[in-house]
Amino acid sequence: MSVADSAAPLLSVEGVYKSFGATEVLVDFNLTLHAGEMLSLLGPSGCGKTTLLRLIAGLEQADQGKVVLDGNPVDGHRSWIRPEDRQVGMVFQDWALFPHLDVAGNVGYGVPRRQRIAEVAKTLELVNLPGMQDRTPDTLSGGQQQRVALARAIAPKPKVLLLDEPFSNLDAALRREVRTEVRELLRDADMTAVFVTHDREEALVLGDRVAVMDAGRIVQTGSPSEVYHHPATPWVAAFVGAVSMYPAEAAGAIAETDFGPVPLLEPRQGPVEVAVRPEDVELRAAEGGAATHTVEHFEFQGADAVVTVANPDGIRLHVRVSGTRSFSPGDWVAPSYAGPPAVAFDRG
Amino acid sequence: MRSPTIRSPALLKVVAIVVTVGFAFPAGYLVWRNFTFHSDPLVVLFSQRTQGPLLRTLRLAVLVSASTAVLGTALAWLTIRCDIPLKRMWQALLPLPLVFPTFIGAAALIRTLNPGGLLSDWLDNLGLVWDVEMRGLFGAWLALTLFTYPYVYLPVAARLRRLPGSAEETARLLGDSPLTVIRRVVLPQMATAISAGTLLVFLYAISDFGAVQLMRYDTLSRAIYTTRLNNQPVSMALSVILLVLAAVVVLVERGATRRYEHPAPVRSRSPVIYRLGRAKPLAVAFLVGAVALALLGPMASLADWAIDGIRLESSGGRDLLVGWEDVWSPTWNTTYGSILAAVVSVALVLPAAYLVVRHRSRIGTVANAVIVSAFALPGILIGLALLFWTLKTDAGSHLRNTLVLLVFAYMVRFGGQTMRTSQVAVAAVSSRLTDAARTLGARWARRFRSLELPLMAPGLLAGGGLVMLSVMKELPITLLIAPFDFPTLTTKAFNSIEEAFVAEAGIWSGVLVVLSGVLTWLFIVRRADHFD
Repeated sequence: MSVADSAAPLLSVEGVYKSFGATEVLVDFNLTLHAGEMLSLLGPSGCGKTTLLRLIAGLEQADQGKVVLDGNPVDGHRSWIRPEDRQVGMVFQDWALFPHLDVAGNVGYGVPRRQRIAEVAKTLELVNLPGMQDRTPDTLSGGQQQRVALARAIAPKPKVLLLDEPFSNLDAALRREVRTEVRELLRDADMTAVFVTHDREEALVLGDRVAVMDAGRIVQTGSPSEVYHHPATPWVAAFVGAVSMYPAEAAGAIAETDFGPVPLLEPRQGPVEVAVRPEDVELRAAEGGAATHTVEHFEFQGADAVVTVANPDGIRLHVRVSGTRSFSPGDWVAPSYAGPPAVAFDRG
Repeated sequence: MRSPTIRSPALLKVVAIVVTVGFAFPAGYLVWRNFTFHSDPLVVLFSQRTQGPLLRTLRLAVLVSASTAVLGTALAWLTIRCDIPLKRMWQALLPLPLVFPTFIGAAALIRTLNPGGLLSDWLDNLGLVWDVEMRGLFGAWLALTLFTYPYVYLPVAARLRRLPGSAEETARLLGDSPLTVIRRVVLPQMATAISAGTLLVFLYAISDFGAVQLMRYDTLSRAIYTTRLNNQPVSMALSVILLVLAAVVVLVERGATRRYEHPAPVRSRSPVIYRLGRAKPLAVAFLVGAVALALLGPMASLADWAIDGIRLESSGGRDLLVGWEDVWSPTWNTTYGSILAAVVSVALVLPAAYLVVRHRSRIGTVANAVIVSAFALPGILIGLALLFWTLKTDAGSHLRNTLVLLVFAYMVRFGGQTMRTSQVAVAAVSSRLTDAARTLGARWARRFRSLELPLMAPGLLAGGGLVMLSVMKELPITLLIAPFDFPTLTTKAFNSIEEAFVAEAGIWSGVLVVLSGVLTWLFIVRRADHFD
């Protein structure tokens, strides 16, 4: 990635606290973002993601800590820059298009009057809505409204673009299409952006870096594959993707389970739980002594299927198999591990 | 989504406080004056001179409330929920009696229905005798019933239109007969709309001056008017009684509505329609009768007056006291005054609406309560309080006979009408939109001009329209404190009627009714859904 740890970060949030009444929303929150970087902020609803965005934009004020943007403190001790003076763009969850203005009026709202016409045309071209200037928001489809909201936010050339669950109002099929498009578009525009989402797939697809948030703090940051394959906690492991926490006995680089050995990322000793992703397990139909597990549940999903199997003690393991295979509850099977080295946690 | 933690601007609070004090001023002055004016206010308060008007006021208000509740509900039911032909026409016609100020309506009734009037002339030809006199309690009751029932009709009709038919269909499926459904399902859901409308009528009836003056029925407001010059202690005491009465009504209304939750605005399929069957001709006759009495009759008699007068003049009889050029100035004054009052009301109530909706401020809550309650303050009290204030104090004397004082009085009287529409307007501007504008670099002034004002415009216009309409028809305040050189259509019409210049009365009233008709059409008939 071009980002690297070149110079000073473009945006840094340092030790920020924010409460609404008795509810602590952000607790000693820290985050840095470099120019040109795209960060996904992933967390369950109510974890403070939106509040963080509003705070960076200046729509909320921190109780404690500071926010530095492009070298200038914008929130913190005695300094407070109003949102209208921050040059931070924001795409709202419901898009918040101005209903009484046409597309040109919306997109040009933040652009100085003299450059408006040219800039609107250019930005509409960029978001693939050329010639739509005179349409009113209520005549646009959801996907088009989404792109107008994006165009409106990037037209004034903000230093940072914040996107608050920008795809959550689109239906599933459209969402996949639009998010790839948006990612390419922002990368072409060399935009620095923070996406907030509670959808793990979206977070992994969109971010150069993913920050996983829970209860007002960041639990882990890293590249998408890092977060997926090397989760910092069992909670992160489960939040970024389906996982089975399976008991094992670690002996160095290998942990022994009742369905065979699992290689470990870091050597451990003694009783542990290994995080096993469903796609990392192979499943064989088996009879007699070879069979260690029975099928509890079979869920056909189209291209593939998820089989839930359990050992005689009732400890479950989820396995992803090709959709062409079929199992029935009660079938005896023999799973085996076939994935990359896994993460082990203390047995809790 | 959380509400933004932006503090309410100090300027907004200051304006709201000043405006609130202004709304409370006339009532406060009245009470204060009453207890400092003479030595023994309580004796007058409980004397014979005050008891009679109080009882007459109550009698009239109770009778009018009962009859409008029945009439308004029945008309709404028939036109919204029954298979009546020409539904749209009835729905457009039935709110229209609101175009008549009650004194013009009362005068028209006297002209039409009194012995010697249009009806008895007509019945004479058939050899019938008509001798019911439009006077006193009966006359005032009939006039107020016919010209205020829309206050019940409008909210009940709006409620009936939005009640989801599914509840009634469910009740039918559970085995109820149509009549039982109406009793068990529909009426309970209409009750709050009926009671809200009826309370408005009650307030209107206790404060009405025009109808009781013409019907010579000595209620509190008429007694206040007749004693204001030669017996001020009595006039003041009567005012305080009327004030207390209005306050009690408002408190009762508050108590009644607190328990009531506004139903979710369900926009369901069209409501269930009930078949009238053999009762249909009867129902149509009822509607025709109501519209004839409350709308067509008065229109006809106004036209009859004006045409009579013009014909008389052109045939060389009595000269009209009105030249056509004289029509222009009161028409302009009425229009100008009501627009001014509407703009001032909307502009000054808006800060309080902001505080209530956007900032949930305590100042906003108090301002809201005071401004809305001032709507219950009878016009004659506001007029009287301000008249005495300009006569008795140095500060007030500067404002005597000025348009500023008149517009202020109109605002206190009718500004409360804009509170609800303004709040709806402010709420229509979602905080997400202003947030978006802020992140795009728009400062306060630009946000207000380019975002909030255009989005609030329909709501503000609706509130302003209601104020305009009310001010146009207003009589007692205008009579008491309008500048001498500011004749309006209501004062011209009232004086012509009182002095029995019927042709002139017809012309003034006709112009006024046309003007208020346009506004009624724009702001009431077309927005009939909004009155629930």
